[in-house]
Amino acid sequence: MELEMNNLTKKFGDFTAVKQLNLSMTRGVYGLLGKNGAGKTTFMRMLCTLLTPTEGNILCDGRDIFKMEGEYRKLLGYLPQDFGFYPEFTVRDYLLYIASIKGLPPAVAKKRTKELLAAVGLEKYAGRKMKKLSGGMKRRAGIAQAMMNHPKILILDEPTAGLDPNERIRFRNLISEFSEDRLVLLSTHIVSDVEYIANDIWLMNEGEIVRQGTPKQITESMKQKVWECLVEKRAVPLLARQYKISNMKADTQGVQVRVIAGEKPAEYAKEAVPSLEDAFLYYFGEEAGDNHGIL
Amino acid sequence: MVFYEMKKIFSKSSSKAALVFLGFALCLIIYFAMGEVSYVNPEGEGTKGIAAARHLEKEKEKWKGTLTTERLQQVIRENNKVNQSPQAKSENTKENDQAFSRKQGFSDIRELLNKAFTGFQEYDYFRADTLTEEEAGQFYKKRTENLKAWLAEEGGGADQFTKTEKEFLVNQYKSLETPWYYESSDGFDAWFTWSPTICMLVVLTVGFLVSGIFSCEKRYRAASVYFASYHGRKKAVLAKIKAGVLTATLVYWGIMLLYSAVVLGCLGLQGSQCVIQTQFGKWKSFYAMTIGQEYAYILLGGYIGCLFFTLLTMLISSWSHSGTAAVIVPFALILAPSFLAETQIPFVDKILGLLPDQLLQVELVISHFSLYSLGGKIIGALPVLLVLYSVLCAGLLPVVYRIYRRKEVRE
Repeated sequence: MELEMNNLTKKFGDFTAVKQLNLSMTRGVYGLLGKNGAGKTTFMRMLCTLLTPTEGNILCDGRDIFKMEGEYRKLLGYLPQDFGFYPEFTVRDYLLYIASIKGLPPAVAKKRTKELLAAVGLEKYAGRKMKKLSGGMKRRAGIAQAMMNHPKILILDEPTAGLDPNERIRFRNLISEFSEDRLVLLSTHIVSDVEYIANDIWLMNEGEIVRQGTPKQITESMKQKVWECLVEKRAVPLLARQYKISNMKADTQGVQVRVIAGEKPAEYAKEAVPSLEDAFLYYFGEEAGDNHGIL
Repeated sequence: MVFYEMKKIFSKSSSKAALVFLGFALCLIIYFAMGEVSYVNPEGEGTKGIAAARHLEKEKEKWKGTLTTERLQQVIRENNKVNQSPQAKSENTKENDQAFSRKQGFSDIRELLNKAFTGFQEYDYFRADTLTEEEAGQFYKKRTENLKAWLAEEGGGADQFTKTEKEFLVNQYKSLETPWYYESSDGFDAWFTWSPTICMLVVLTVGFLVSGIFSCEKRYRAASVYFASYHGRKKAVLAKIKAGVLTATLVYWGIMLLYSAVVLGCLGLQGSQCVIQTQFGKWKSFYAMTIGQEYAYILLGGYIGCLFFTLLTMLISSWSHSGTAAVIVPFALILAPSFLAETQIPFVDKILGLLPDQLLQVELVISHFSLYSLGGKIIGALPVLLVLYSVLCAGLLPVVYRIYRRKEVRE
């Protein structure tokens, strides 16, 4: 299974949301990182045939997905960022309905619904109306619907929004387990969501992929860009005006500051081991000197 | 899929409330329809409702049969006899009512005499009282003569119709087979009186129910998952259309049959074999049909109208993604003709006569002289409406399907 994007572009009037993307995806988990408004959702919607590209195409094993129609969507599982549901449906009814529009025969749908309810921990709430579920439970129901048809291509837009730490770990494990011999594209602005499970990470900004690679390759690209130093509290604002600061921790001796900079910010600064979060800040963080420079 | 689409419609609290409202309105209309039949007993006391219908039916039963000259003479004779009675001549209204009670059995035939022996656009309740038995033989002839006179009259039919249309109307009148068969049709009369109201209420309720069929996906932000699914742009869209049509069918026939069962069950089913001209308001109608056929046409027209408004609502819902707009447009289309009817703009009548609201009031369409020319052939509004809107319904189905299946999800 290979998804290939050629010069993929989407414009809304004068605004270009996605610019000339040339990408290829095979098996494994792809993490799409970018701040809000980077074009992630538009890109994913095109992958789900919800939006037609202004230019370029998306090929699935060499065939245009928009011409494949249902044949392509049969392979697809999608959890949108703004996951909506039918409030008066029970969780079971909702999943059975999704199974029906995904083309599962009723007997298979019942079995699969039962399996998924157990997998996402909603067995006890199967008869509860969707509108009565908590935010986390709704998200879990959303994950279950995306997986209903054993999709070969799973597209998850901000899947962990609203989940508590336990649920996020559970979700990560579920995706890891699921991604074997499948293609998973996971968009998020929460770095830790993809840090452990993504085989390949794409950093997206203003409709373009600005950096692409394995988590290791991306963190390696941050060598000599992440620094730590202990400064006096009053020196922090000055530092923030000059550099991006990814972390600060105050103690009795002063403030331990983690700085993202292409040069050593101070004589006494020490180079730190870069993380994916540092890379995220490096590529997408507010400019130094901005009021939001201090995270 | 259709099952779940129906569930989406009927699980909403607003839908449940709309159905409760419709049920309440139906009860109220049935109550009013029951009150349409009144009976005055020999003591001069008036009653209404089921018991009145039973008594009246018994009285009218004596007069059922073919309206031959002899039968009409018999009515004139009996009417005169009652008029000569002391109760009829009395100044006491109670005694007048007692006299009237003896006329109830032939009151429908008496009304037909009133209609036949006054001008086309006139009505005189006492005309039958002045008729002689000799005049009875002119009954059917007078109907056509009155029409001809009116069609020749300046300020009357002369300005309203072309020569071909006038010929068509006269031929329609002449072609109606005589003598007519008569029996009481009070049950149908009451049913017909309230059928436009119930039809409109059903259409508005169905419109409200189906207005969210397409727009709900956006409203609930469920469109992404829906369109990204295997059947999302084909079978699932068809399921929505099927659910809409099924909702319209179930609600329409459910309500209309319930209304029929109660009203006709209580007030009587007799009269279906009589021509519609034996009814008080249909004397002038040029359509050759029985009351039973009129009932069937009203049901059929109402159903086609209901389907048309349902599909129109779904079309707007699928195009605009707005349930509110989807409800408002058909609502306006039903109400607008009432305002436009007041205008004096030429040809407005012709246009108004073909608007879909007419299907919800077939009873009035049958009563009116709405004529259209098709390839040089004159035709009444009823067949035009039935064919036109059946074709439009069939045409709207693929349009709704195509519009919705191509929707993009932007929000």
